[in-house]
Amino acid sequence: MSSHREAPEISKDPVADSTDLYAFVSPDKSNTVTIIANYIPLQLPSGGPNFYEFGDDVLYQIHIDNNGDGRADISYRFRFTTTVRDGDTFLYNTGPITSLGDTTWNRFQTYDLEVVSGGSATVLGTGLPCPPCNIGPLSTPDYAGLAAQAIASVGGVTVFAGQRAEAFYVDLGSIFDLANLRPLAAAHAPIGSLSSGNGVNATNNFNVNSIAIQVPISAVTISGHPVIGVWTTASRQKARIFDADSGDYVNAGPWEQVSRLGNPLVNEVLIGMGDKDRWNALPPHDDKEFLHYVTQPGLAGLLNVLYPGAFPNLAAAVTAGTARADLEAIFLTGIPAGVVNKTYTTFTGTVLADMLRLNTSVAPAGSPSILGILGGDVAGYPNGRRPGDDVVTIELQALAGATLPLVDPTYKVDGVVKSVTDFKPDPPAIGSPPTGSFPYLGTPYSGYNEPS
Amino acid sequence: MPSHDEERRSSGASGRRLSRRSLLQGAATAGAAGLAVTALGAANPALAATDRSSAPALDPAKTPAGPIVVHVRDAKSGDIAVLSGTSETRLRDKDLAARIVRAIG
Repeated sequence: MSSHREAPEISKDPVADSTDLYAFVSPDKSNTVTIIANYIPLQLPSGGPNFYEFGDDVLYQIHIDNNGDGRADISYRFRFTTTVRDGDTFLYNTGPITSLGDTTWNRFQTYDLEVVSGGSATVLGTGLPCPPCNIGPLSTPDYAGLAAQAIASVGGVTVFAGQRAEAFYVDLGSIFDLANLRPLAAAHAPIGSLSSGNGVNATNNFNVNSIAIQVPISAVTISGHPVIGVWTTASRQKARIFDADSGDYVNAGPWEQVSRLGNPLVNEVLIGMGDKDRWNALPPHDDKEFLHYVTQPGLAGLLNVLYPGAFPNLAAAVTAGTARADLEAIFLTGIPAGVVNKTYTTFTGTVLADMLRLNTSVAPAGSPSILGILGGDVAGYPNGRRPGDDVVTIELQALAGATLPLVDPTYKVDGVVKSVTDFKPDPPAIGSPPTGSFPYLGTPYSGYNEPS
Repeated sequence: MPSHDEERRSSGASGRRLSRRSLLQGAATAGAAGLAVTALGAANPALAATDRSSAPALDPAKTPAGPIVVHVRDAKSGDIAVLSGTSETRLRDKDLAARIVRAIG
């Protein structure tokens, strides 16, 4: 998945597990940037009675580097507080919830938001409301209305924190079954008797918890540097002890980072198993030590083994030990001007740092291509990431050599590469697709209706 | 604009000094002592009692409200971390580490 359960340790801690990060110039408010960080993967909508909520003991952050040094210049910090109105009932709600202040909502969350910049922290808001989870038509009869009540404007920032529909799509079952992409299944080596078919969107009808902010571009950029680097982190305090007397955990010590996400799939697909947990604990500016995972990606070497003869040029490049400067640019430095064309750039500098880079000077696309730059859409991934971008196909094709000619014009892309996708010929099924306005992710699936 | 993401690392090695005596006194008298320190007192009543008898009164205003967790990182070198609130104080005290080891043994 993009970053769902991507490392051994964080897979055991879903409340702190970042799943996807989006950053884009807001299509309906183009003088602003929207950043969305998703947490708590694969929520079964009917998963009550203790429905999904942010961790009161987790520090969630969205970081922005605006000068290219791979270090945070601006950080938005979120801390959540859970309140139980009636501890004698097991119910999440005791009647319909029609407004965020309804006393029928028994267990609810609020959050405090501060921004750290220039070495000082400023509180932007306290006690900001989260919406409930989408329970069903009796409990949350107007869910869209409830969620809208939870959109706040504080200190020049529009903010939302709560459950939304999963926007990321991927055929998990096929990818983790030895990269057995269903559209290419007939060419798959070990069990080539499988017939080809369209992919299955494994994340359809699941929810996530989103933290979304919309800020003026002028508030997150500095003069002459329109490209920003974005990442999200979750941190826990160093010590966590179970107190049997209260049945709860107590925490002590400084915050320690346990989850990190910039570009989709970097830790999941590129970083080796032995380094995944460490990668999650480090800041982006330390990513130089992981460079070999990016420039010599294991999956590129595996493709020609799993699909013998299908990727001869890629296989030759792997055998020759070609360092993938194209992938280094996409993931770790940004793409300099003059590589794609004269003006396209996501370059932030020579510091190797996995950040989701967004050139804020590029206007939103009128007709977006889900293939982003591979589809000729300069406003899509890897120039930021929009909720609809097909990052799995983009990155799989890049790993398979599609972007290698950007740095080696003599390299000829294998003919099969354009067919490397998990969804073909039909697009993935998405029950609640992204919307055109803040917070842009679809209304979460309700527990009453899903699974159906 | 200066970056601030070194905060995580700098917070891990506070310059604050904590003596062995103040640690044990705090453990013995603070109402919300942490697990390691609490276990020390429970496992070795004589040790706790001794320290209680010699402990000057704590200033309630300077006593952490939350738990104090003591992590003996390396008993041989006396490397000890004391966690309270969102801070960490590092000690290097072989004697204290040895007493804690004896207490749990």
